[in-house]
Amino acid sequence: MAADPPAVAAAVAAVAAGNRSIAHVDMDAFYASVEIRDNPALKDKPVVVGGDPDKRGVVAAASYQARRYGVHSAMPSKTARRLCPDLIFVHPRHELYAEVSHQIRGLLERYTPQIEPLALDEAFMDITSCRRLWGSSSNIGRLIKEDISNQLGLTASVGIASNKFIAKLCSDLDKPDGLVVVDPEQAQSLLDPLPVRKIWGVGKSGERQLHNLGVSTFEQLRKRPVTFLETRFGTWGRHIWLLAQGIDERPVVTDTEARSISHETTFAQDEADREVLAAVLLGLAEQVGTRLRRHKRCAATIHIKLRYSDFATITRSQTLAKGTNITREIWQSARALLTKALADRSDPVRLLGVGVSGLDHGLYEQTDLFDGFRVKQHEIDSVADSINERFGSGLVHRGLRNK
Amino acid sequence: MKLKIERDRLLKPLGSVSGVVEKRQTLPILGNVCIKQEQNVLTLIGTDLETEVLTRVEDVEGEDGECTVTARKFYDICRMLPETAKISLVNEGDRTIITSGRSRFSLQSLPAADFPRLEAQNWEESLQLKQNELRDLLEKTAFSMAQQDVRYYLNGCLLEIGKSGIRVVATDGHRLAKSELAMPLEISGPRQVIVPRKAVTELLRFLGEGDEVVKLEVNPNHIRISAGPWIFVAKLIDGRFPDYEKVIPSSLETHLEVDRLQLSEILARTAILTNEKFRGVRLVLKPGTMMVMANNPEQEEAVDEMAVEFDGQEVEIGFNVGYLMEALRALESEKVDLGLQDANSSCTLNEPGNHSTLYLVMPMRI
Repeated sequence: MAADPPAVAAAVAAVAAGNRSIAHVDMDAFYASVEIRDNPALKDKPVVVGGDPDKRGVVAAASYQARRYGVHSAMPSKTARRLCPDLIFVHPRHELYAEVSHQIRGLLERYTPQIEPLALDEAFMDITSCRRLWGSSSNIGRLIKEDISNQLGLTASVGIASNKFIAKLCSDLDKPDGLVVVDPEQAQSLLDPLPVRKIWGVGKSGERQLHNLGVSTFEQLRKRPVTFLETRFGTWGRHIWLLAQGIDERPVVTDTEARSISHETTFAQDEADREVLAAVLLGLAEQVGTRLRRHKRCAATIHIKLRYSDFATITRSQTLAKGTNITREIWQSARALLTKALADRSDPVRLLGVGVSGLDHGLYEQTDLFDGFRVKQHEIDSVADSINERFGSGLVHRGLRNK
Repeated sequence: MKLKIERDRLLKPLGSVSGVVEKRQTLPILGNVCIKQEQNVLTLIGTDLETEVLTRVEDVEGEDGECTVTARKFYDICRMLPETAKISLVNEGDRTIITSGRSRFSLQSLPAADFPRLEAQNWEESLQLKQNELRDLLEKTAFSMAQQDVRYYLNGCLLEIGKSGIRVVATDGHRLAKSELAMPLEISGPRQVIVPRKAVTELLRFLGEGDEVVKLEVNPNHIRISAGPWIFVAKLIDGRFPDYEKVIPSSLETHLEVDRLQLSEILARTAILTNEKFRGVRLVLKPGTMMVMANNPEQEEAVDEMAVEFDGQEVEIGFNVGYLMEALRALESEKVDLGLQDANSSCTLNEPGNHSTLYLVMPMRI
């Protein structure tokens, strides 16, 4: 995500002064905790929120009790029950979680408007300039946790550091109910022993490739020459090399000032099947469209991003004649770009992304009497959005007809 | 060629004929007006190759002949002469001399034989109606025509003639205007032609308020309208007008009978604080009232409301306030029937119980 020039300038100034303070607030076992809060009978029991184990359901969230049995999110419910036969399954209530998420946002906004939500249950906050008002970073972290606990009866883990990358690592270090504040001087010693897997963007395959190069910890990674990583992984290699030494200058971007929106996915196994890629692309376009519509924006330019097995990364973009937030239009454009990109190089793909930029207020779109396509698509999108908002994202999505 | 004419007999016809001449042309002669003197009748012709306006002035003394001069300059010279001036014009080859009193002007002249004419003939349908009726049909619709839309067939007015009357439809896709005149016509069948935007605008300049009869003729490529001394010919737009009847809703859930001026005034007030580019207002319909709201990027806000007979579910619809105001201005009745449905459906405006003139406005997503 790119940001407004003023936000970037402010962030750059803070970075130059070396005193940025970024908090990552991460709710503990969010869905499960909300369910347990609202039903005391579930307290101290292994609880998962998720689909029916008899119907190929998947775990959406597991309470800490359940995690002791090795149950974790994204695991098939059936497997979870095998690990813990006493497991209590609760059907997800997305509308409720969205509501609680909204309340959390309200609490965080008391401290600063500089909030970048990552999901319903986590967000970055730039608390650099509110330290004067609220005291030290650790004091702000404590106050936030108290607010969430007192007002909502939930616990959060908070990591505070000089940038987003370290803050996110920190919130995870002392879960649940943790508060980890890292000074810039301590940061490197904290990072060095961590496995490379902890780096944002390093998944199974990235980890394997790094291992093959004899790199398994942050320390090993940062001690390699940057050119060594760049020749193998391109700009991404440089990016992780910087992260390994705790350098991350990305600013906190509030969703109202976002200049672009993108979604990407890394495949468990590199994918070469065009039909599969097109289907994944549709899902991504749908997510992008939903976010555009939620923020009442229209995008002028559609981008795609492709990363091949050898980490070579390409981007392609197309500017439309008329701004859009229609899922189908975003997808049509992205698919045309993908087809063109694959014509140039059709190797297996490890990462696929769809993004949009050139956002303006999608407000005031004049509808057209003879543009039945757009009117229809707007109707489809708004129906899908309202269903997904009530019952959880992804419940309704577009399908591709098999030809 | 020679002629002598009073300034006030020449000025208006010359002005109307010059109106059609484009300011910038590809050929010098297209900037000229064609002047013909024949048996005491003066004929003036202006053209832009799409539209041609011809007018005659009777009882003009002179010697027969023809020539062309720059329309703009000729018109300006006549305009600047005293009201009671008598103007004489003499053509001598590539020079045309205009004199009046002590004033003398020598203009470049191009031969009339090179002046391009719209060779329109073989009229297939012919009908007659009153000048003010045709004017009214066009006035009620012309403001809804598209302007330089890629859908070129929208850059004009649809003229539909049938055995039971004439109908004019104009739309830019955002709104649509339809006006019809019921009258028995002896024609061979229903027919649709699209008159280009510029021709419609020019027509409105010379159609008067009087009830003199005008003759309207069409062939597959042209339309000709003759009214008194005027003959107006225009090339038609070669395209298919969209099926407008399909987009006119046959029934809407809500119909409100509102005072036309009251609603116009509310919209005009609210419009002050709309976004200048998009001009969006929101109509919020609640039992008993209709609120009109607007806000702009400066965070300024306007709210107004009027009492209406409504007891349904609350509805909120956004519109370009300009489209609503133009439609209300074109309607003349005291009351207006405002038909609404939901945020995705168009609204209709017409005189209660009378659908001969109907406006359709598509909503704006706000």
